[in-house]
Amino acid sequence: MKKANFVVSGAFTLFALAIIFLSRSYPPSNHGVPGPRMFPLIIAVLIIISSAALFINTLRMKPEDDVPVDLTSRNVLNVYITIAGLIVYITLLPLLGFITTTSIMLLLFFKWFSKYAWWKCLLISVLFTVGIWLLFGIVLNVPMRYGVLI
Amino acid sequence: MLLSVLSSVFNLKIFFFIILGVFTGISIGALPGLTATMGVALVLPLTFGMDAIPGILLLIGVYVGAIYGGSISAILLRTPGTPAAAATVLDGYEFSKRGESGRALGISTVSSFVGGVVSVIALWLISPQLAKLALRFSAPEFFLLAVFGLSIIASISGNSLAKGVLTGALGISLAFVGIDGITGYPRFTFNNINLLSGVSFIPVMIGLFAMSQAFTTIETIFTPDQVTQKVSNVFPTKADWKVIFKHAPISGVIGTIIGIVPGAGAEIGAFVSYGQAKRMSKNPERFGTGIPEGIAAPEAGNNGVTGGALIPMLTMGVPGDAVAAILIGALTVQGLQPGPMLFAEHPVLVYSIFLGMFVANVAMLLLGLSSLRLFVKVLSVPKSILTPMIFVLCVVGSYAINTSFFDVGVMLFFGVLGYFLQKADASVSPAVLGLILGPMAESNFRRALLMSEGNYGIFFTSPIAWIFLFLTTITLVGPFVGTYLKKRKAQA
Repeated sequence: MKKANFVVSGAFTLFALAIIFLSRSYPPSNHGVPGPRMFPLIIAVLIIISSAALFINTLRMKPEDDVPVDLTSRNVLNVYITIAGLIVYITLLPLLGFITTTSIMLLLFFKWFSKYAWWKCLLISVLFTVGIWLLFGIVLNVPMRYGVLI
Repeated sequence: MLLSVLSSVFNLKIFFFIILGVFTGISIGALPGLTATMGVALVLPLTFGMDAIPGILLLIGVYVGAIYGGSISAILLRTPGTPAAAATVLDGYEFSKRGESGRALGISTVSSFVGGVVSVIALWLISPQLAKLALRFSAPEFFLLAVFGLSIIASISGNSLAKGVLTGALGISLAFVGIDGITGYPRFTFNNINLLSGVSFIPVMIGLFAMSQAFTTIETIFTPDQVTQKVSNVFPTKADWKVIFKHAPISGVIGTIIGIVPGAGAEIGAFVSYGQAKRMSKNPERFGTGIPEGIAAPEAGNNGVTGGALIPMLTMGVPGDAVAAILIGALTVQGLQPGPMLFAEHPVLVYSIFLGMFVANVAMLLLGLSSLRLFVKVLSVPKSILTPMIFVLCVVGSYAINTSFFDVGVMLFFGVLGYFLQKADASVSPAVLGLILGPMAESNFRRALLMSEGNYGIFFTSPIAWIFLFLTTITLVGPFVGTYLKKRKAQA
């Protein structure tokens, strides 16, 4: 947890510095009435103070309280692969169309996660995808027709 | 108006949506890993094309059902379906070990109903009075109310106050993005047209609460699903009824009060109620060994939160918990602004929500007692099939609000961020409070100073302002005083 706390503290400090840098050109207060710059600056300062507090508390942390954070085990790597898969999915989604992309994505995830036969995974993925497409596209009138395929 | 309210709730269409909501909620709540917040976030997109009353009541049905549904897996699998049912595991699973899971589920069902009804009564009695009071608020009072709400972050930050403040500040920072409401100046938009109207609130919520939870489930996706036992005799015995009626109403009141406090959710309501029942008991040592009080109290307590959480949400636009925050989003999509004016301008809607919530609790009781075996079967849906389906629902739900793929990207980004924040033991609930209360604080602070021409004395002129200042001070100083007193006691 020590390492994770240092990363959180550092990342939020950078975030606060970015807020201060980006808001430097915003209009200042006018006749005592705060402009659009004031609140972002207050929050940025609050973030820096809290990050510093987290950093100091972590330095003082007893070794027995330092619970390791799992970021590299096989189970967590599965999450990273899933996230990568979803990034590919949402990139292809507007290009290829909902039914094609979603059916393929579901088929691959079902096959990876479960022990069902290919045909069962394919059937569930197509049925679920078409069901969602009908629900949102036809019943709820959400525009679901996009991409070069369907 | 009474007739309008009755006719808007007592019709087949509304009953259908309430029952559908409760059914969906119980199923979602029963499945470990799917929380009430996640359920409401996933169902929310379905309400975009609906009228306000059926849409909101569908979501309330999911909320009420899911909080109760969490007890099913808590009792049968020793795994709380939702964090709200964590306290129910302590005694509930002991019943299952003795082969009395049906009895435990029956006690849970009736207690949840009693707790829920108590909270609806409180909602009905308190909300109109609070709304009348809130009508007298102007910018300084709303600013101080928002500051009070934000100060609650100190109490809901989990193990680390610093991390709670950081995630709360992250939520507030997100609300800065877009055109400034007072000066019209674009902030943090990076010349991106998608950011001019700000970061869409609903994709952020779906990402933080649904997607991140689904990622956490992936970590155990190859762990075999637990097998449940058969359930029978769910109707409580005479002795159990006595216990329920002794503890459930009190726990319902405790849950309601906790629900009213901004940010404090059903999990806290359940644990405080459990602790209170233990303190009241002549045999506190029997708690944890499988006694009816150990189920009745937390289950009434967590369902008591449901009505309580809607009180500040409807009357002042301040969410009582994360689900209430999503309901604010649902009302906003319908063109309605939660707050005192909602009571003045849309009384039929407000009272229909009250009545509909009562109907949802009745539906929960009837479905719980009649169809428990069906909900137990839901537990056998493998997570290897369910989790990818949740991915699709998250994607379609965040796309549907503005038909924008940019929002889908926002959802995925916050899903990943929420996952890593959970890994770092940082609660995401403060981010939601920040996201809603941050803009409320900023706009009212600046409006108040516009009104007073820069005189900060405007924040100390009304008695209501002083009450909020007092409450904020207590909330911020309270935890430190408590820790100091505990240390002194330990030293003595």
